Amino acid sequence: MKKPFKLLIIDDAEEILTALTNFFSQKEYDVVSAANGLDGLKHIEAKDAAFDLIITDLVLPNISGVAIISIVKKKFPDTPVIAITGWGEHPESLAKEAHADYVLEKPFKLPELEQLVKKLLK
Amino acid sequence: MNNPSKSKSGPPIVGVSKNIERVRELIEHVASTGLNTVVFGESGVGKEVVAQNLYQKSPRLGKPFIKINCAALPEGLLESELFGYERGAFTGAEQRKKGKFQLAHSGVLLLDEIGDMSLPLQAKLLHVLQSGGEFSPLGSEKDVKADTWVIAATNHDLKKDIEEGRFREDLYYRLNIIKIYLSPLRERPEDIPPLIDFYIKEYASMLNNRHIEKPGAKVIDRLCTYSWPGNVRELQNVLKRMLVLGDCGQIVEELFNSERIVSPTSGADDKLNHHASLSKILDLGGKNSPENQSFSLKTAKKNAVEMVEREIISHVLGKTDWNRSKASKILKISYKTLLYKISDLNIIPPEK
Ligand SMILES: Nc1ncnc2c1ncn2[C@@H]1O[C@H](COP(=O)(O)OP(=O)(O)OP(=O)(O)O)[C@@H](O)[C@H]1O
Ligand SMILES: [Mg+2]
Repeated sequence: MKKPFKLLIIDDAEEILTALTNFFSQKEYDVVSAANGLDGLKHIEAKDAAFDLIITDLVLPNISGVAIISIVKKKFPDTPVIAITGWGEHPESLAKEAHADYVLEKPFKLPELEQLVKKLLK
Repeated sequence: MNNPSKSKSGPPIVGVSKNIERVRELIEHVASTGLNTVVFGESGVGKEVVAQNLYQKSPRLGKPFIKINCAALPEGLLESELFGYERGAFTGAEQRKKGKFQLAHSGVLLLDEIGDMSLPLQAKLLHVLQSGGEFSPLGSEKDVKADTWVIAATNHDLKKDIEEGRFREDLYYRLNIIKIYLSPLRERPEDIPPLIDFYIKEYASMLNNRHIEKPGAKVIDRLCTYSWPGNVRELQNVLKRMLVLGDCGQIVEELFNSERIVSPTSGADDKLNHHASLSKILDLGGKNSPENQSFSLKTAKKNAVEMVEREIISHVLGKTDWNRSKASKILKISYKTLLYKISDLNIIPPEK
């Protein structure tokens, strides 16, 4: 059997984090989750991390999603990152500057996100 | 006890609380990134120590570490301090001057009290950050580019400032790529004994270890229940007093007494109404009222200084028939400074 793709999902909104984690786990992805930027960054920096794709919220406690994108793109330029952003917050342009592969605005449909993930993993 | 050579290196971040441990961990992970950072927390909690630790753990160590206090200077002066000017940029600009942004090239620029920066200057700063550190000094045609790590510090609730139209939301997001929050000392009393320990050792060695009375277990217990409105800085002052004066018990008593006096009482308002100027300085009911979260003694002090300056300068200008060169001599300030003050304090010449 093929090794499943490994995803990291970072969001401080518990419902969203749980929903995304459950959704992608059921779709046979190997999912690691984090509720703030620092915990997310620790996963990224872990020795055997090797994530195939990262999904991060932009506004997070301590280390923002924008920082996560910048750090990932510097250390692992080939790892795709999808930024998800809430209404009424305006750091999308920052996410693009940091070279996020895609900025997805909430609310979005889970299958929509999955399509995007599949496309970026090709 | 001011050791200027230490101002850059600063102390380690002492503490055992969850907040402090998390802050230390955060610093380890982000110090090498050079991403814009904001340090939040009340006055005296250690925001500058955090900035210094970020710098020390970064590859920028050894490069300049430059600090500028955005609350201490009037808008025009702050702008020229930050971005510099060319010779002849304005009357009195006899020599070109490099801005702190440029002086901090390849190092760190600490923007202290960023919450007090005026909106026009916020716009300019945003522009510089958007362009990756490019700006032109006042009166200059050419752009300068500086690779400067910007760390900002504030005791304001910037979210609230945004709602009230005092801080730009786009600048907030641009700066707040990394956010470090230090909680007030009263919310982490477990840090008080290690801080006492650290500073007693430090001060004792400065006093050449001559025989000193150190606070005992009972005194330390009481210090852990005090509210520390001035946070670690206040703790340092209390410890210095104890070491120099001895009689720790008495000093603790006074501390708790002062706490009772400072806490708001109903009669206080009446007394203040007798001092029209004082209430103006305090901006009672306004945004810098002490009842307000965002009150800072620094802002009150700045307001007071500006008020006095405005009075005196207007008076002298009146006397000299607005002869600015004469007035600057009487005031014993440079001509250039006087021009700055006239514009920054908004002193208007009489109609002819
Ligand atoms: N955790 C800590 N460990 C050791 N020293 C500390 C700590 N926190 C603060 N201090 C000391 O307390 C004093 C005040 O700290 P600092 O100047 O960093 O506060 P600040 O938050 O910048 O205050 P302000 O808002 O008034 O500028 C400094 O001398 C600093 O070295
Ligand atoms: Mg400070």
